[in-house]
Amino acid sequence: MGKVSMAVDFAGIKLKNPINTAAGTFGQGWQFTNFMDVSELGAITTKGCAAEPWPGNPKPRMTEVPGGMMNSVGLQNPGVRAFAEESGPYLADLTDKGTAVICQVAGHSVEEYVAALELFDELCPWAAAFEINVSCPNISAGGAAMGSTPEGAAEVMRACRPVTKKPLLVKMAPVRLPEIARALEAEGADGLTVINSIPGMAIDVHTRRSKISRPTGGLSGPLLHPIAVRMVWEVCQAVDIPVCGVGGVMTGEDAAEFILAGATSVAVGMASFVDPAASVRILHELEEWAESQGVSSINELIGAFEC
Amino acid sequence: MPTPSPARMHDVTVVSNEPIADGVYALVINAPKLAQTIKPGQFVNIAVPGNAMSLLRIPLSYASADAEAGTVEIWYAVVGDGTERLSQMKPGAKTDLLGPGGNGWTIPEGCRRALLVAGGIGVPPVLCLARELAARGIPYTVSIGAASKGCLVGEDEFEAAGAPVISVSTDDGSYGYHGFCTAAAEQVLELEGGEFDYVAACGPEPMMAKVAAAAAKAGVPCEVSLERMMSCGFGACSTCAVETTSGMKGACMCGPVFNAEEVVW
Repeated sequence: MGKVSMAVDFAGIKLKNPINTAAGTFGQGWQFTNFMDVSELGAITTKGCAAEPWPGNPKPRMTEVPGGMMNSVGLQNPGVRAFAEESGPYLADLTDKGTAVICQVAGHSVEEYVAALELFDELCPWAAAFEINVSCPNISAGGAAMGSTPEGAAEVMRACRPVTKKPLLVKMAPVRLPEIARALEAEGADGLTVINSIPGMAIDVHTRRSKISRPTGGLSGPLLHPIAVRMVWEVCQAVDIPVCGVGGVMTGEDAAEFILAGATSVAVGMASFVDPAASVRILHELEEWAESQGVSSINELIGAFEC
Repeated sequence: MPTPSPARMHDVTVVSNEPIADGVYALVINAPKLAQTIKPGQFVNIAVPGNAMSLLRIPLSYASADAEAGTVEIWYAVVGDGTERLSQMKPGAKTDLLGPGGNGWTIPEGCRRALLVAGGIGVPPVLCLARELAARGIPYTVSIGAASKGCLVGEDEFEAAGAPVISVSTDDGSYGYHGFCTAAAEQVLELEGGEFDYVAACGPEPMMAKVAAAAAKAGVPCEVSLERMMSCGFGACSTCAVETTSGMKGACMCGPVFNAEEVVW
């Protein structure tokens, strides 16, 4: 290891380094074991899971766009019970190796979020924290429909807060961020994940149809990185709880921008599709950058952006 | 732990990349480890350099692998920016790919005779299977089709692989039977279905649905190789979903070859 301490305290979780993975881009971690040592990462965030299985959206679920991609997966998941049974042993082992496992929680309603979180808390004792996804743009109820107003997001947080003693994070929609962030902080959120994919459209002009199965989908990839950096910076100024920056991180320097903007951790998303070992490469590049800044700890660089 | 994808990252070099029909290219790459491990019906997810705005890999089936020479041959149709750039790659060019991905064909135990149906750029995985059948001494009948004579591929290769009867059709009637390759397959299954123990198809989805229906009617097990838009190709992104009788399944991990009875068309 290098000279710089990469350890950070994120929402009460001790991470050996700031690099995390964005939910929905890293499966349940075990999909990557043939490409990299997953336990090098500070954390992974598993794909969103609801109390009961969800089939997700019809095909086609993805189209490539310049500088990124647009998806409409719709949070297909096997339900918390099957998730815990299939992936629990691997994730418990990963936890033992010092990588924090954050489980993302999905729901269509306040009641469903609570039901899923209750199951997670009971069946996933190895989990370091839970991330409530109130920002999925690809489902008809719940997701962004609930998390796009301070009142809606606060209602979900208020109902979920008593369910677990573990840290609760919230995956935020790219709208009204400072005010929603303050509402979530007031309701006891321990950390915020900023941002989820940005709603977009892609039309096949020859057939006049959407290139995916729904009119709109969620954009991700480097095309939105500058937007995400700006949003992270705005949220970090609005609240005291820590932020995980997400959006188009392809290199260590992209991750460094989030750190400088105030993020305590950084999640790698689409880059893992392009290169399954991208997250560890980005970790090493981030460490090199921190060394180049002449600091003894990465913590000295969090929010060190100078205007 | 559930079993991860068999795919590994391979650095590859282009050996040759030549057109073999209208809009169809044969790409030969040097990839020794891949050539030893890839099985008929599996796929690769290849990075195509040249456009910084285009990031995702392109999932492609393969036509043949030569373990001794360490090469894999891929036939692809130029259908968009990515495959256009792929067609410009010259011998000696380097890139990388993830493979082999997914499950290949499963020839039933004790199979006496097989019927293979391939349309357009669906030919390569079926051609791979034909060679596997030939190696096992299992006789088979082939029906292939294309939009027109100019874009037809595979006739010579199926013949070289020992196919005794090859029914060829074109949508525009410019060569072979005027119509779809499903017609011959449906006829064969109706008249002599009892002689077959296995049907395998790859091509446009409506074509595969027709073959699957004819096979089901004749009571012959049928497999189909499906195509989906794919972000990762190794089970992490949930974008390549196929609707099946037991729920949504990823084409990259549970396919691309599926039992046809399982597919909701």
